[in-house]
Amino acid sequence: MINFREELKRYDYSFFGICSAIFIIGILNLYSATHSHGVGPEQGIYKTQIIWFCLAWLVGIGVSFIQPKNFYRLAYPSYLVCIMLLIMVLFVGHSALGGQRWIGIAGMKFQPSELVKMSLVLVLARWYSKASPEQEIGFREMIIPFVITFIPAIMVIIQPDLGTGMLTMLIFFLITFYRKLKWKTIVIIALMGMIGGTVMYNFGLRDYQKKRIITFIDPEFDAKGSGYNAIQSKIAIGSGQFFGKGFRQSSQGALNYLPENHTDFIFAIFNEEHGFVGAVFLIALYLALFYRLLWLASNVNKMFDSIVVVGVLAIFFWHTIINMSMVSGLMPIVGIPLPLMSYGGSNLLTFGICCGVVTSISNARNLF
Amino acid sequence: MFGEDDLVKSHQERSDIIFNIIVIAFAVLLARLWYLQIYRGKQFFSYSLENRLRKDVVRAPRGMIFSRNNVLLTHNIPRFDAVVTPQYLESSDETIVKLANILGTTPDAIKKILARYQGQARYIPVVIKKNISRKEVAIIETESADIPGVSVETFISREYTDHDTGAHLLGYISEISQEKLPKLRERDKYDYKQGDFIGQSGIEQQFDLEIRGQDGYQFMEVDARGRARRHISTDDLYSGIENKVPEPGKNVRLTIDRDVQLAAYHALDGKDGAAIAIDTETGEVIAMVSRPAFDPANFSTGLSSNYWGSLVMDEKRPLRDRTIQEHYSPGSTFKPLTAIAALEEGVVNEKTTVVCNGGYRMGGRVFHCWKKEGHGLVDVVKALRVSCDVYFYNIGNKIDIDVIYKYATLFGMGQRSGIILPRETSGLIPNKEWKLKRTGVEWQKGETLSCVIGQSFINVTPLQLAMFYSTMANDGKLWRPHVVKEVFSNSGQVLKRYEPEMIHQFKISKKTMDIIHEGLFDTAQAQGGTAGASRGVGIQMAAKTGTAQVIGMSADKIFNKCENQPYKFRNNGLFAAYAPAGNPKIAVSVVVEHGCHGASAGGPVAKAMVSAYLNKYYPAYQAKIMGQESVNMTWPQVVEDNRVNPVPMIPETNPEDFYDEQGVLVKNYILDKTGKRVPLEKILDAGPTDGE
Repeated sequence: MINFREELKRYDYSFFGICSAIFIIGILNLYSATHSHGVGPEQGIYKTQIIWFCLAWLVGIGVSFIQPKNFYRLAYPSYLVCIMLLIMVLFVGHSALGGQRWIGIAGMKFQPSELVKMSLVLVLARWYSKASPEQEIGFREMIIPFVITFIPAIMVIIQPDLGTGMLTMLIFFLITFYRKLKWKTIVIIALMGMIGGTVMYNFGLRDYQKKRIITFIDPEFDAKGSGYNAIQSKIAIGSGQFFGKGFRQSSQGALNYLPENHTDFIFAIFNEEHGFVGAVFLIALYLALFYRLLWLASNVNKMFDSIVVVGVLAIFFWHTIINMSMVSGLMPIVGIPLPLMSYGGSNLLTFGICCGVVTSISNARNLF
Repeated sequence: MFGEDDLVKSHQERSDIIFNIIVIAFAVLLARLWYLQIYRGKQFFSYSLENRLRKDVVRAPRGMIFSRNNVLLTHNIPRFDAVVTPQYLESSDETIVKLANILGTTPDAIKKILARYQGQARYIPVVIKKNISRKEVAIIETESADIPGVSVETFISREYTDHDTGAHLLGYISEISQEKLPKLRERDKYDYKQGDFIGQSGIEQQFDLEIRGQDGYQFMEVDARGRARRHISTDDLYSGIENKVPEPGKNVRLTIDRDVQLAAYHALDGKDGAAIAIDTETGEVIAMVSRPAFDPANFSTGLSSNYWGSLVMDEKRPLRDRTIQEHYSPGSTFKPLTAIAALEEGVVNEKTTVVCNGGYRMGGRVFHCWKKEGHGLVDVVKALRVSCDVYFYNIGNKIDIDVIYKYATLFGMGQRSGIILPRETSGLIPNKEWKLKRTGVEWQKGETLSCVIGQSFINVTPLQLAMFYSTMANDGKLWRPHVVKEVFSNSGQVLKRYEPEMIHQFKISKKTMDIIHEGLFDTAQAQGGTAGASRGVGIQMAAKTGTAQVIGMSADKIFNKCENQPYKFRNNGLFAAYAPAGNPKIAVSVVVEHGCHGASAGGPVAKAMVSAYLNKYYPAYQAKIMGQESVNMTWPQVVEDNRVNPVPMIPETNPEDFYDEQGVLVKNYILDKTGKRVPLEKILDAGPTDGE
């Protein structure tokens, strides 16, 4: 029996709190990005975003009342469901033109590749928590988790969604690192990767082959156009200077110099309007969230819970740092949204579930 | 059960390292933001004000459409618009007055146009006048320094060689409206932009994705007034950008012959209706005309709303393609079908005779023959020749409507032909099941009597009628009609070829077909045939006329003279034929709305198409049947002549261009009766239109 009053007393509001704060900044920014000047087809999307947010939070709060041991039980089934959904997407996708990431569920568009991230975290946590926590991870112990990650990752990549596929691999590496990946192994992997990559890129491939591979993996990749986006994004950020141009004063985004300004380039608009000061404030909020997650990871009783929390951290962190780096010109443009700020229902839902899971784990910690 | 308790702390070290990684990553990011926003902030701020780099769309030229002999039917011509970009408009009053002087309008008119677009972003150019002259272009370009914010935009508009002649077949293009933009993007998975044109009917619509090509873009460095600079600076900011050259649209080659098309169009002058000609051996459509028509070029030059409004409001509905989007009662042109069904099912044979005294009584009702005094003794061949209704009423009394349905369906009626053109209608061939489902009432015997003479529920499109006659001509091969031969690139490479496709082939006894061929030959060639008026030098065709009531009429009204009725109550005149009768190559059908009589209204149109076609492609055969001894041949003589003395028929595939006496290439010509080309005067001239 759940004692509801007790439950609420030890409820950890911190994750929902910080995330809501970021989201509110995000929704104001989204409104600004789509409303600064004139009219456009994206006028009403901030309303849709609020609806998605409410839905994501309801789902997240629901998840937060699930006992952590149930996550443990659900790990493998949810993974299998996700793989099936991905197969469905590929199957449906072949009948349609071009790439297909969506499937329709009850009339709503839904991206299974988003859910994969969360279920992957659960599966890896369950697998890694089987062995004694003392044991370090070497190549041999890595094989099965790697395969578990690689199957959905390659399916996402051929959708084609290179960004999300790579992100899935990065989540795997961060979790494995946390679970005491041997330093020796890390050094060998890094060396192998560097040497292999350099040799392949410099000697193995000719220029047109490189281009061809890129376009094969991601047909939407516009080699010529992406340079333009990067420049406009840099101008947007730079023109914000110290204090920014002010709310609804963005000229770059509003003039549609930035395509997709409500999804991947939302951070550029934020920087243009709120300047360096705004950026520091926003980054501080994300940092607070990450710090809180890491603290929780070290203060739970069970290895499984700890790894799940680090997994959630990995999801949030990689999204945030990759998005911000590509928008500010530190990385090539890949389509990765900024958590809680970019427009998009499926990823909001994923972040909502993430919050629910860590809140549940945090609540259970206080039980003892 | 899961995990080992109290050992989490052993991972504290890794957790600290991860936090350090996060802090370092954010520190690098903040350093980068510092560099962009503080160190280079001023520079970027000024860039953002000037929008120094502009991405201009370079529109891909639309593909061209050719006739079967490579005559250009549709191409592009450049057009110029005078535009104002509000963002760069300094000292606006002064500039507007100057611009008004150049364009010959008033400053108030320009201000009114600008006011209409006040709501939209100021960097979007507003079109002040469309289709300006080259002189106006020159003045604006030379005075550009004094009129900041004013510029000339080049625009490609669509030109149709024969204007109205192919309006419905070729279709038209028009600008995509703002509301439709997202829906079309989703439907075609194509990134349509504001201001893009899209095919709205005919070939332009059906092959839009092939014809439209891929737009490119080019980067322009512009100054604070929005004027392009000659050079792109070497600022490191601009490294890594490249222009994209547009990919021109694919071209389409039709099966249409321009001469036959022009002949049909002009034969229909002053009439409303449709004419269509198809190749009996391939299903290729040779000509396809619907009238009243319109000039599709007017849509792409930004037509005034008046023109569009008048087309939509016109009760004759000129935008509708009557060849495939409209269906008509076939009237007597349907009778050969009834005869085939009756002969094949043994309801009648070649010896069955009926006495026609002008009417046929069934139940309490009298069904009238079109000839009040009757035709006397009639057999099946004569029944076709004189179009005797009573003979067919007799069949109707004995035959089941479902049998008629079966045969009509075999000949392609009552179903979409599958021609690759938008919005084809299916027509209607009724059966018992349909009637019961549609009205809840059982099929009545009397209705069969109306149906066997092509009235009542029976409705066919002109295309289906032509397919029916083509299938009779080739003894049971139903070809899928098609208008496109191939799609090819600018370098001449064929990307898609449309081969003749047989829908099905069915067996009809030779005996039956002989009777039908003779009946239809006699209709056009023998004494007393209803299509006799279309006989003439050089024409040897098998035909059937039809007259279909557009409203139910009482008995005395039926025999009233049609020409005395109000226009919209007059009968439709139909004419369907294949030719040459002894060796068919082409099947035609003509519908003239309210034309009163098939022979007089439709006959000349069919004749024009057939003679234009045969004169052009089979001149040797044509010369032979034009000969004196051939003209008065009877059917058995024609059959015998074709057997004993066959003339090889090799189509002339590439007729030469036509030059007039001065040696100027004449685009608008027509073939006269003897097959000679005569120039036509220009039909319409598209003038400049005002900006909307």
